[in-house]
Amino acid sequence: MPGLNASLYLGLTGLQAQQSALNVVGQNIANVNTPGYTRQRAELTSNFSQADGQLYFGTGVSLTAVQGIRDRFLDLQIYRETAKQSGAAERFAGLNAIATSLADTGATGIAALVQTFFQGFQDLSAQPESSALRSNLINKAQGMVTALQSRYQLLDDQRNNADQAVKSLVTEVNSLTSQISQLNLRVMAESSPGANNDARDQRKALTDKLATLVGINVYEGDKGEYQITLDSGSGTLVSGSSAFDLSTLGGAGLDGRASVVLKLGTSTIDVTSGIKEGQLGAKLDLRDNILRGYQQQLDKLAAGIASQVNLQHTKGFDAKGVQGTNFFLGAQGPYDAATGLPPLPPPPPNPLGLPSYSSGDPSQFYRGMVNELAINAAIVKDPSLVAAAGAAGAGGDNANANALASLQFTADSGFGGTVLGSPYSTVVGSLVSDVGNRVQTWNTQATAQQNLVLALQNQRDSLSGVNLDEEASNMMTLQRGYQASARFISVINQLTDQLVNQFGR
Amino acid sequence: MSFRTASTTQQRQSLLDLQRTQERLALNQVRITTGNRITGPGDDPTASASILDFNNSIQANTQAIRQADSALLYLRPSEDVVAAAINDVMRLQELSVGGSFASSAELDAIRNNLLSLANTQSAGKYLFAGTNTQVAPFKDGQPVLWQGNQADISLSLNANASVVTNVTGDEVFLGGKGALPGNPNDIFQAVTDLKAALSNPGNPALLQAASANLDAIFKNLNDVQAKLGGRQAGLTDLQSTLSEFNATLAQLQNTQAATDYPKVATEVAADQILQSATLSTMAKLGKANLFDYLT
Repeated sequence: MPGLNASLYLGLTGLQAQQSALNVVGQNIANVNTPGYTRQRAELTSNFSQADGQLYFGTGVSLTAVQGIRDRFLDLQIYRETAKQSGAAERFAGLNAIATSLADTGATGIAALVQTFFQGFQDLSAQPESSALRSNLINKAQGMVTALQSRYQLLDDQRNNADQAVKSLVTEVNSLTSQISQLNLRVMAESSPGANNDARDQRKALTDKLATLVGINVYEGDKGEYQITLDSGSGTLVSGSSAFDLSTLGGAGLDGRASVVLKLGTSTIDVTSGIKEGQLGAKLDLRDNILRGYQQQLDKLAAGIASQVNLQHTKGFDAKGVQGTNFFLGAQGPYDAATGLPPLPPPPPNPLGLPSYSSGDPSQFYRGMVNELAINAAIVKDPSLVAAAGAAGAGGDNANANALASLQFTADSGFGGTVLGSPYSTVVGSLVSDVGNRVQTWNTQATAQQNLVLALQNQRDSLSGVNLDEEASNMMTLQRGYQASARFISVINQLTDQLVNQFGR
Repeated sequence: MSFRTASTTQQRQSLLDLQRTQERLALNQVRITTGNRITGPGDDPTASASILDFNNSIQANTQAIRQADSALLYLRPSEDVVAAAINDVMRLQELSVGGSFASSAELDAIRNNLLSLANTQSAGKYLFAGTNTQVAPFKDGQPVLWQGNQADISLSLNANASVVTNVTGDEVFLGGKGALPGNPNDIFQAVTDLKAALSNPGNPALLQAASANLDAIFKNLNDVQAKLGGRQAGLTDLQSTLSEFNATLAQLQNTQAATDYPKVATEVAADQILQSATLSTMAKLGKANLFDYLT
């Protein structure tokens, strides 16, 4: 039979265990609002029994572990879906910001102003003798050019903003991957798997944050370390205790913007197109694909209008009976006689320095056309140079004005019918529809992803989150246990006192 | 089976729901204040494209109506001039019948009047000069000098329709397209011939010939007047049709673009209740806690 001292020791283990467990409760309560915190549970185990003949007497209780309640597969799923959610939200925000202006269906929209320009020729056809209507046409043309250029500039500004954001996001990503690699080191040094709850929680919170910035795949190794790769698998950001930095190379990307490279020791690999999701992936997508695509459509529209109007305009005669010149010019000089298009400065990626209107890399067709578009300064200065007549010498001849006005209805609305292939109104309508559909798609996707991430977070919280009622209940239970252990020690103390001080009196 | 709920879960879920309710409220507020159902193309891409199509069609029809107005600006005065010329010819026919009452001065006045009519301008252009609209088409002389050309001025109304806005001076005053000054059906020559016939009563054949020529001129002018009237009637019909069509298009566009006030107001009311209930629930959830009951 155990002695009184043994009983005192037994009571002591009870006190210590309840106090330690209360400490865990306190930790949970303290971190109820800490992002990434995983609730902990005190694992109490009865101590080995002591044999006394045929009998086994207990020796108290021990706290054997402080266990974080986590589901690591759920964590990995959340990282992946968070990246998709932030990517969709970023694309929606980036596109929605310019959609109203780009896809304006009202009187100040591109469609209305292009139509107004051609109606200027219709107005002129009614009275080609009128210098006021000639000036009016030039104003309408200027309105159309300004509308195209302001939209183009808006897209350019958004692309520049995205470019700037890419640079700052890369810095944030590097900071996070560095911290995660350090935490990996602490996790790998755990005495037993899952022992270092705080390191794992901090790593989870940082990885959550990383996933909003960049699309990632996360794998957990045998020692609990995270291996993090880009979502396309094109590069590794974190491997155990090593972090690999991203950096930007100014001017090395599309249209002179920054490319994103991954540093691997002394070498680098370009991962610009390998980052698909997260804010970084979305910014790159907006910058290099979505917004650029709309710029290309505007360039093509400008090329279609400029080439066809120029070709028709040169067939007519001005008010003085002189054959028409080109109506539109590029800022760099006269139009190209072979194509009917305003000239362009050689695009940077074109080593031959040739305008790439319709051959070579399709992504370079008509590039920069909107920016180059201008009304022939001579016509602006002298509106009588508008070639409204079909033949020389008759002031009331409106044949060419009619032909120019009818360009708005023709399907061959570009040089040789190949630039646009459909009327301008159809082209702009497609642009509006496309912008709207994309905004709607990204909005829907962002909402759906938000719902999914929320559901996953709720699921994770149901397992790992702190419930204050539960902690209060545990606290009461442990408090009662502590009080009972203390009472037990008090009783044993009285027995000892009885034995030592009162026995035999 | 119970589903364990962490203390932060309810807060997070409620907050998201609240944000979405507030977002809907803000969006519907814009719809109410602007009267537009579509606040951006992403609200309804299909409707946005339709609205653009409707706008294009309305704008094109409006332009066609304006083009028709421009055409009428020349056709109406042209018809007035032809009508006046017909009156003059009728007077000449009367004079050719009761020749003794005709005075040389009256015939000269009629000829001058006809010359003036032939050189009528509207909106800065000579109506009967063909495309040579900056130059007076007829210059006095024996015979008159024809300075216009035979070109029609065609005005496109829309993608499918156009109208000729002029009749040329030779067609009206010289007897037909391509007719040269001095021919018997030249209206000015006819006055000269009538004057010569009246001053030579001993030769009735001259008067008969002059009278016959005036009949032919009268018929030609009536034909021209009918042609001008027909064109104007066509344009007026087109304007009327396009105006009605535009009204229909505007109505159709409105069904796509305009705010459905009863629907949006109902949504706003529902969302306001939802917002209020969510806020109330959030506040109450924060209060209920086991710690409150521990002493």
